[in-house]
Amino acid sequence: MNCGEATATVQAYVDGELDGVDRESVERHLVACSNCSGRVRLQTRFRAAVRAHLHRPEVPFTLRRRVEEALASQPIAPRRWPGWLSMSRVVPAAAALFLIVAITTTVRQRNSLVLQQAENAYHAELPMDITGSDCGSIASWFRGRLEFPVHAPALGGGATCQGGRLVNVGEHPAAYLVYRVSDGHRVTFLVFDPRDQPFESRQRRVVNGREIYLGSGPGISTAAYRDRGLGYVVTSDMDEDTLARLVMTSFTR
Amino acid sequence: MKRRPIRSDFEKEALPHLGALYAAALRMTRNEKDAEDLVQEALLRAYRFFDTFEAGTNCKAWLFRILTNVFCNQYRERERENVVMTEAESSSANLEQFLSGAGADGSETEKALLGRMVSADVERALASVPPDFRMAVVLADLEDFSYKEIAEIMDCPAGTVMSRLYRGRKILQGLLYEYAVEQGIITPAAEPSAGKGSHSATATGPVDLEAYRRKRAEGERE
Repeated sequence: MNCGEATATVQAYVDGELDGVDRESVERHLVACSNCSGRVRLQTRFRAAVRAHLHRPEVPFTLRRRVEEALASQPIAPRRWPGWLSMSRVVPAAAALFLIVAITTTVRQRNSLVLQQAENAYHAELPMDITGSDCGSIASWFRGRLEFPVHAPALGGGATCQGGRLVNVGEHPAAYLVYRVSDGHRVTFLVFDPRDQPFESRQRRVVNGREIYLGSGPGISTAAYRDRGLGYVVTSDMDEDTLARLVMTSFTR
Repeated sequence: MKRRPIRSDFEKEALPHLGALYAAALRMTRNEKDAEDLVQEALLRAYRFFDTFEAGTNCKAWLFRILTNVFCNQYRERERENVVMTEAESSSANLEQFLSGAGADGSETEKALLGRMVSADVERALASVPPDFRMAVVLADLEDFSYKEIAEIMDCPAGTVMSRLYRGRKILQGLLYEYAVEQGIITPAAEPSAGKGSHSATATGPVDLEAYRRKRAEGERE
């Protein structure tokens, strides 16, 4: 790949639309070319900065009420089986549905999306929506922005909070918390609603009677667990054992 | 035949996306009243056609497709009247060129530009992006839809999604650059160096991925 070709695919690369050979060939070029890798970095940062500055507005109470009233005033939609259920439509629809299910199943088996997302977010070093070292006020910043309360896990080892960011896991908003541990490692927590987000796919370990799932990506380790109905994915550049011990300290606190 | 309690199904599937729909509607219509009307109309339409929604498929994408459709039919005309094509669209340089024009200060300029960006300016810039491009940016950068999903939502080929996204972001970057210059946050480059350097980023737009793959496949065969 030369610069011209790389340039043409930078956008798709930044948007995570490339995979397999396409992705590898861009990455091989990026390693060798500071010009193109600078471009990728700029576009990634710009995208992240724009996103961080465009907040999701509160849904006005009036809109919620209007929608509820409008739905209530609708007659129950008659089931349109007879016309709709003609074979000419159902057969292709069923085939398409089968294909979608088949694809989804393969993807799930290959990798958990939420783990992948946590790893990507870790590498991207996304800008924070809220910064500060007070874990409590970072956790409370999420109040009203999420469908569940967030508690910043208490870590040992002189860990300090750095900030938080509102992200989406699947269809739902989730919290992303960033810590700095005293020896310079960065540790991030993705706190999300674990329904429909399977992550129990990797190496399982029982810590203090609790199941955690350890894994590793390039240069990083992940630990995933459930706590009080919420899912947590912890990502760090420490090794798996150190990360497992760190997670364990958060359980005992 | 078993009759499903359709309203509760609908509420369970669709209402969790109310926040995302409203956020997108607000950025498309650029005012709260129209945004509320648009979301209400889209949800009502979705409710009426809920039996055509394939359970288990992507409900959010389905709802956004309806939202986009209603927007195009009802608000687009009005919207078009209000659109004043911005200078940023006609100016050919993009952020990379501005920055490379700034020479050795490029990375400082970038840091100042990104570091001192404020939400009000980003909202203002986004609101000035023409509707189709703005919608592509909102769907990709705020709602994390893939090119394929955006293509379905906006009912256009994936190549068009890429070029809309490319142009939308370029306009956004140009406007934010202009604001930063106006506010004295950064010093403008003497000449945005359009065409400077042998492989300027903007000389080529986004490429059609399929065309790129075909070309590569041919190359491999040789």
